[in-house]
Amino acid sequence: MEPLLSETEATALWVTLKVAFWSVTASILPAIAVAMALARGRFPGKSVLDGIIHLPLVLPPVVVGYLLLVLFSRNGPLGLWLKSTFDVSIAFSWQGAALASAVMAFPLIVRAIRLSLEAIDPGLESAARTLGAGRLRVLLTVTLPLSLPGLLAGTILGFARSLGEFGATITFVSNIPGETQTLPLALFSEAQIPGGEAAAVRLTLISVAIAFIALGASELLARRMRARIGLKERGPS
Amino acid sequence: MIHRLRSRISAGLLLMALSCPGPGIAAQDRVLVFAAASTREAVEAVLEVGHREQGIDAVASFASSAALARQIESGAPADLYLSANIAWMDHVEAAGLIDPGSRQDLIGNGLVLIAPLGRSPLAAAKLLAAESPILDWLSGGRLAIGEPNSVPAGIYARQALNSLGLWKTVEDHLAPSGDVRAALALVERDAVPLGIVYRSDAHASRRIEVVAEVPRASHAPIRYPIALTREGAGSRQAISLMDLFLSPEGQAHFTSHGFVAVD
Repeated sequence: MEPLLSETEATALWVTLKVAFWSVTASILPAIAVAMALARGRFPGKSVLDGIIHLPLVLPPVVVGYLLLVLFSRNGPLGLWLKSTFDVSIAFSWQGAALASAVMAFPLIVRAIRLSLEAIDPGLESAARTLGAGRLRVLLTVTLPLSLPGLLAGTILGFARSLGEFGATITFVSNIPGETQTLPLALFSEAQIPGGEAAAVRLTLISVAIAFIALGASELLARRMRARIGLKERGPS
Repeated sequence: MIHRLRSRISAGLLLMALSCPGPGIAAQDRVLVFAAASTREAVEAVLEVGHREQGIDAVASFASSAALARQIESGAPADLYLSANIAWMDHVEAAGLIDPGSRQDLIGNGLVLIAPLGRSPLAAAKLLAAESPILDWLSGGRLAIGEPNSVPAGIYARQALNSLGLWKTVEDHLAPSGDVRAALALVERDAVPLGIVYRSDAHASRRIEVVAEVPRASHAPIRYPIALTREGAGSRQAISLMDLFLSPEGQAHFTSHGFVAVD
């Protein structure tokens, strides 16, 4: 019997999941910080920060990839700094692919978190403060739990964006099988070959399958979360 | 109320404006040339001559040969197709979309090993050979080539490296790009120390230098077939433009951009 996935497909799938997982994981904390700053902060240059964060939504992904290449290639300013300080190079590696994905997904994650932060009733937070909770405690026990739906939505959106990321990735870290060749890049390669349609269709089906699995998992998570929040609300306090 | 009405009217006007054909789109008998991205400069020069000397009204759309072939398959109104590789021309010919009698090899190309300007690991341009210490030249960096299974320039590069016995050496040190111009860009940006691109690409860039020629016999001949599509075969202007491409003057525009005449 033929295996379900060819070796190339299995490798591309693994790279895709690895890249998407790390791009979202590494983005979460900075995204929360930026969303907080944008939702609550008052500081000069706030709209500039807002604009910069949203740039990847507006710019063609190829341009983002090119900027990353200029910054992080072996002779780019950040590339040189990473090399001399930590002796690491992320150009042409899966870490670079994760960075490209993260940059592209970042505005989506920030937006989702920011929306749910803005929806929180400030009365709840001030009530907690008047009851003697410190700022950090309010953040950890009131603000963040209440913004969980946005956090979850942002994570899923970011993960989904990473699964489909193409332009920035191929420009920044090229198309190296086993290292940076994600499903969309493998799909692109197949579509460049006369008669490669069958393979491209298989890869498309794999992508669709992951998308549905991810959606299903997030739906499950959301339901559990709602149940938990509901329980707390009904609990005697 | 009036305010709302006014904004509705302006939205309606905007919609109408957007749905009108823009200036110069959709001219009926304009010749549409579908040409491989790597031929841009030469094709534009030929179109310019055609317009000036024979009044041929033509525009070109440049993309990868694969993308263009798929668009022709899906009914794109192209009159001439200039492909950077034989496989895609065979593909559209087998689908009955071109006039097979019109198909000819227009021009050829070669491969060169390039480095960022001023960073060549060698003194003078030589021939890439089996004993070339390519890993030393790379010194830990990567070799940019077109993706070696799908991008034509990458396929030729792999053939050449294979027949020179260098493929196994460099296989794990590649930066495979989505098209040959992306490989060129990696070298231009000094993101990689070396790349293999077409002679014509090296010719188009001022930010790289040729380190070595890749021996012509080490890979399959690089040919650019051109043909009239079914639609183009019925257009007098398209046929004149095709003749201009194949004329010595047309060919000269290609050789002056680094292409090689077909023998």
